Amino acid sequence: MSSKKNQPNPNPPGTRREQLQQQREQQAKERRVRNIITFSILGVALLAIVGVIVAVVVSSRTLPEASGGGAATGDYTIAVGQGDAPVTLSIFQDYMCPYCGDFERTNRDDLEAMVEDGTAKIEFHLMNFLDGGGRTYSTRAANAVVAVAKAEPEHVMAFNAALYDSQPEEAGMGLSDAEIAELARGAGVSNDVIATFAQMQHQDWVNRSNTAAYEAGVRSTPTVKINGTIWPGDGQTSAMFTPGALKAAVAEAGK
Amino acid sequence: MNDLVDRIHRFRQSDRWIFSYMLFSSLLSLVASFVLSVDAIALAQNADAALGCNINEVISCGKVGVTWQANLLGFPNAFLGLIAEPVVITIAVASLGKVKFPRWFMFAAQIVYTIGLVFAYWLFYQSMFHINALCPWCLLVTLSTTLVFTSLTHVNIRDNNLYLSPRLHSGLQAALRMGVDALVITLWLAFLVAAVVLKYGSALWGG
Repeated sequence: MSSKKNQPNPNPPGTRREQLQQQREQQAKERRVRNIITFSILGVALLAIVGVIVAVVVSSRTLPEASGGGAATGDYTIAVGQGDAPVTLSIFQDYMCPYCGDFERTNRDDLEAMVEDGTAKIEFHLMNFLDGGGRTYSTRAANAVVAVAKAEPEHVMAFNAALYDSQPEEAGMGLSDAEIAELARGAGVSNDVIATFAQMQHQDWVNRSNTAAYEAGVRSTPTVKINGTIWPGDGQTSAMFTPGALKAAVAEAGK
Repeated sequence: MNDLVDRIHRFRQSDRWIFSYMLFSSLLSLVASFVLSVDAIALAQNADAALGCNINEVISCGKVGVTWQANLLGFPNAFLGLIAEPVVITIAVASLGKVKFPRWFMFAAQIVYTIGLVFAYWLFYQSMFHINALCPWCLLVTLSTTLVFTSLTHVNIRDNNLYLSPRLHSGLQAALRMGVDALVITLWLAFLVAAVVLKYGSALWGG
């Protein structure tokens, strides 16, 4: 630094003024850019707010679309059993969830009997939140069940049971499409329907079903509701895995 | 008009603005982390919750303990917020009281917080695309972490705490003077809002 003082002034007075002039021009340029940016920010923020408002208005107008046909209804329910049964049993499940398998295997015979004799109808709510990290099994299995429910609802219970009998390791990648197809065949599903599994036509349906369940307050699987009330109560979850407990609760609700 | 814009931009560069903004965002982040931590503890204590697969900040089925996402660190992720945010709050409050931290300290804070930001966005990504569930407190963590990060980066560029080359530094300073950072943040937040709205749409307002 100090050595510089001894050197001749690199900026003669004339150019010094030019430099100041340059600096001022630079500042003016910065200010122009700054003003453009300021208004861009206001514009973006305004657009975002308007966008959100439009999205709110639009979404509050489009009521849940009924995706028609079969036993898979617009409110993302896979319905099994007689419509006039006095008790409605709602089961929220993810095919990857080991506890859903425990629940189904524990109560399978009772569930089938109750549907058969008209004591209760079952509404399956399919979820796929256990997918992730490259795993797609929950969605693929649920997609297949929706396809069966829409085309051949009479095979839903058997297919559901078959999926739990061959339930894959929770941490793994799940069954392949071919294995799912094989289970469906074993449950009596026709080849025509099985052939549609791979197209994943119901993927969106399953995603929305998952979201709808979350919206309805479901935070874990299996969640079971008897006529809309969560069963069993807090601290008694083990009843789900106790043979006969569900049947008794349904009988109580049907009185 | 020009005068007002001038004053706003000068204020934006002041300690008072940057550190108040940092304090506010870090308090938000601390509150969200606290709520999530309490949730995580309640969930761990609830024997019922251990008999099912839970939709949570990260997914866990009691059967295999917890997933690799949660096992990555071995404790609820929200605890990280409880550890880190008080440090930021301290920096913000002390700086509002005119304390000057050494360059290496602010540089280290920047590095640690950047790691935290990456982790927050990784979790955001997981919950957006893998968990398919919306967690309002997690969204608040993503938002507040972003804001804290921008305030910390702002002050570190302004005070040249990042050991940048003089050319890069003066370029970035000019960008700060022109408000490029504010534009980037606004665009980024608008992008996040759009992503959440497009992905969840009606689910957000119980449609």
